[in-house]
Amino acid sequence: MSDPGEALANAKAAADRIVKAKRLNACLTPPKELRQSLQKQGQAAHPSGVLYGMPVAVKDNICTLEFTTTCGSKILAGYRSPYEATAVAKLKAAGALVAGKTNCDEFGMGSSTEHSAYGRALHPFDKTRVPGGSSGGSAALVAAGAVPAGLGSETGGSVRQPASFCGIVGIKPTYGRVSRYGLVAFGSSLDQIGVFGRSVHDAARVLSVISGRDPRDSTCEARDPLRLPTVPESLQGFVIGIAKEYFPPDLDPAVRRACDRAIRVLKELGAAVREVSLPHTQYAVPTYYIIAPAEASSNLARYDGARYGPRYDGALDLRTLYRTTRGEGFGPEVRRRILVGTYVLSSGYYDAYYRRAQQMRALIAQDFRNVFDRGVDLLFTPTTPTPAFKAGEKLADPVAMYLSDIFVVTANLAGLPAMSLPIGRIKGLPIGGQLIGQAFLEDEMIEAAYALERMVPGAEDA
Amino acid sequence: MTAGGGWETVIGLETHVQLRTASKMFCGCSAAFGAPPNTNVCPVCLGLPGALPVPNEQALKLAVRAALALGCTLHPKSVFARKNYFYPDLPKGYQISQFEQPLATDGALSYLSPDRGLTTATIVRLHVEEDAGKSLHDRFPKQTAIDLNRCGVPLIEIVTGPDFRSPQEARRYLQTLKQVLEYAGISDCDMEKGSLRVDANVSVRRAGEAALGTKTEVKNINSFAYVEKALSVERDRQVALLEGGGTVAQQTLLYDSKTSGVRPQRSKEESHDYRYFPDPDLPPLVLTEEFVAQQQAQLPELPAKKRERFMTQYALGVADADVLTGDRAVADYYEAVVHAGADTKLAANWVINEVLGDAKTHQEQLRVPPGALAQLIGLVRGGTLSQQAAKRVFAEVAERGGEPRNVAEALGVVQVADSGVVARWVSEVLGAHQQEVTRYKSGEIKLLPFFVGQVMKLSGGKADPKLAQKILEEKLAA
Amino acid sequence: MSVTHEEVLTIARLAELDVDEATLPVLTEQMSRILEFVAQIGAVPASESAKPFVPGPDAVRFRPDEVKPWPLAFGPDKLAPAFRGGFFLVPRLGQFEEEDQ
Repeated sequence: MSDPGEALANAKAAADRIVKAKRLNACLTPPKELRQSLQKQGQAAHPSGVLYGMPVAVKDNICTLEFTTTCGSKILAGYRSPYEATAVAKLKAAGALVAGKTNCDEFGMGSSTEHSAYGRALHPFDKTRVPGGSSGGSAALVAAGAVPAGLGSETGGSVRQPASFCGIVGIKPTYGRVSRYGLVAFGSSLDQIGVFGRSVHDAARVLSVISGRDPRDSTCEARDPLRLPTVPESLQGFVIGIAKEYFPPDLDPAVRRACDRAIRVLKELGAAVREVSLPHTQYAVPTYYIIAPAEASSNLARYDGARYGPRYDGALDLRTLYRTTRGEGFGPEVRRRILVGTYVLSSGYYDAYYRRAQQMRALIAQDFRNVFDRGVDLLFTPTTPTPAFKAGEKLADPVAMYLSDIFVVTANLAGLPAMSLPIGRIKGLPIGGQLIGQAFLEDEMIEAAYALERMVPGAEDA
Repeated sequence: MTAGGGWETVIGLETHVQLRTASKMFCGCSAAFGAPPNTNVCPVCLGLPGALPVPNEQALKLAVRAALALGCTLHPKSVFARKNYFYPDLPKGYQISQFEQPLATDGALSYLSPDRGLTTATIVRLHVEEDAGKSLHDRFPKQTAIDLNRCGVPLIEIVTGPDFRSPQEARRYLQTLKQVLEYAGISDCDMEKGSLRVDANVSVRRAGEAALGTKTEVKNINSFAYVEKALSVERDRQVALLEGGGTVAQQTLLYDSKTSGVRPQRSKEESHDYRYFPDPDLPPLVLTEEFVAQQQAQLPELPAKKRERFMTQYALGVADADVLTGDRAVADYYEAVVHAGADTKLAANWVINEVLGDAKTHQEQLRVPPGALAQLIGLVRGGTLSQQAAKRVFAEVAERGGEPRNVAEALGVVQVADSGVVARWVSEVLGAHQQEVTRYKSGEIKLLPFFVGQVMKLSGGKADPKLAQKILEEKLAA
Repeated sequence: MSVTHEEVLTIARLAELDVDEATLPVLTEQMSRILEFVAQIGAVPASESAKPFVPGPDAVRFRPDEVKPWPLAFGPDKLAPAFRGGFFLVPRLGQFEEEDQ
């Protein structure tokens, strides 16, 4: 793609499609601003870039110089970042276009994009259902065909889970593969920017562009960008582990059927499939819901109305300013998590909760190492226990919402690369299969995904 | 040692020292003092959403050097931790510090206690952290003004055990600490600019008691002059409380230099729960043996060592050696004077009295080059200049520069060692003081210095006093 | 592990969050439920516990000590809700606290 002017055409078409998908409430950028910016970006895009002219929707918790960065929160209403995330800078340098900012659960805290201060995003195929979350806006826009790719972010499955619900590809790279500079922090030891694509190839090439070293993020590894593998003829030589903990008796029958079909395909492709065990899996969700809120309670302390963002006026003293700004600026789920996080770090509870969770996290990471040390290359699991659920279904019970992340949080806890890709449908609703790879071996994971994508009827009922 | 009435004072100090770096601890902003407000700021030190810290190598080097200079055990792996609290000059809502796993522990610093002589203070821990910004409460009515220029400037915190038994000891320790840190180029330790700040834990107990009394924390001691004062005030307050049958409440107090008193910091109820946890934005701080060895090699000779060496190498007393080694520039200057050929003891006297005296009134500048001072000392020793004349020459060289020999000649103060000339002055003096001559000859020999003085006066200070005395004795004996 | 209304209010003060009376009972109940749920990790024998796991590089990398401020497209005056004479402005601390730093 190097025809100058092509970017401008792509930009206009993308703007039209995004505006047309308005009913999904997936894009937070007002249409007029979106069109103007895309036009400008289309003219400025450099034709030699590997993503020349590709519109990429960006989750609203990733800082951009274009548009506002609100993290789906009232506390950052109207906030314009004076700098852009490294991942966004890399995208633009490669010729891509920032195609609007997408709706998400507030600060990434949620699994349904219902916890957004700007209204819930809708599932692209069934408006009564959720697109998943927290990166539901990007997932919905990609699934609706408005953009070929999008950026999301993960703290506990927030790319893979909506990818699964929306029937697209979502990749979360190894922790440290992509710079977090400019990704608004939620749980810093878990957060990674991830990518959505209509195809494995689109997602992988966007990931390749945003990956690599960054002197501005101490947790980003000093490694070269990810190299894209070629599409393999077979999966001869691959050992794929099937962990029994990811196939519980109460797994949705359609999800199980779709997984069984995918496993058969893996075998047909020549992969050796082996049953394995990750014994601490059941503790992953509780461990996650200690560590992530603890880090969040500290990461979100900066939103106090003093230096940026809206301030609740009328406060005559500082404490009142803090408490009203934060009390009114954060939504209920964020408030809950800040309180839980503050509690588990507070004096007298730190050892029982936070320190214990850190030890449990080590055991969960060790489970994966044990399996990989015994020759397994990749794990295959369902991405979610069920297809997309109904809006409002899990709002009353936060723990029920948390449990929808049961298969995805482990990769964040262990810092491993993982991805979701469509493996079938049930009554029109997509089902996702998950591949979990070894640290910094995204190329092997993507290779297997290429093969699966070709052979599994992702759009057919399971 | 005791505070009177059989009370013993127990003090521990927490000192924050700003490291001498060009940029801040976790970002590339300038760490310089005195820029217009909020101009040395970036996404990181403003605490903007999405910004991340990257540590400054030079800050770590200086912190490691400080730990080595204080004889600490350096930990091969230490961890940055977040100290969480809300304050408007703390943009992230937490300070990046170290908690469970600090950079270094278990050090010691020897200092000369005014009560107990050479004494050792234990250094419990030394860790790296970032500074907060500044809150100005009196700038605008009903508002607090925030300047974040200082936010993120690198600091080390040095914590002692409860080792000091008097405010004087605490002050001496601080002076010694400042010397060491200045010597090693770690900090400029300027309390007025806030690059050295101290908080003190103070308690009192009955002499002979082993258990510590309830302590208070005294903050806001912002000048060296106030250290002793603030601690004495708090000690006296505690003693008075206890003697009146009361108890000491554990609290934080602010020293007020205007009233020379302490007042409680009426702090928020939750201020003590900092919810420390490892900072997930920063991997562990790992020190290799090679890195530590490189920092060790960068350390200069420290004041205590230098003092000992000066005493043996230059045959100086402890008091002179202490003054000369108090400041690295002075010590280097003294050694340069000696290397230029000056007598070690004369050089010590000249440096302590004249050079430092001159420096005091001239912004601590050592204005006479060491070579020139050595020459001047040589001129006195060789009889070319009297002590008086030499001081004039010193002042002239300090003011306008030049070679002491030329300056002395230009000033016309070179001593006259020509016996013919001196003899003529002697004759004139003796002629003018017949009465005293008679008294001398009748045995009142204590008049000799009077005659020498008269010769010096007559010669305008130029006569060589030794030669004048010799000729006087000869002529008076005749 | 259940929490009381008072504990929730204490934690809320620590987190500088206003919690209004009306939401307190629901919030307390939800927090208790969440804390009870996450406390199940305490059931794993302590002997099984390992050293904490930290993802990312094993050792922090350093930045050279150069004055090279990371870019800001516009200054703090454009960000701040209240800015005057080069300073961010906030209401002064309440009457129960004062601190000179």
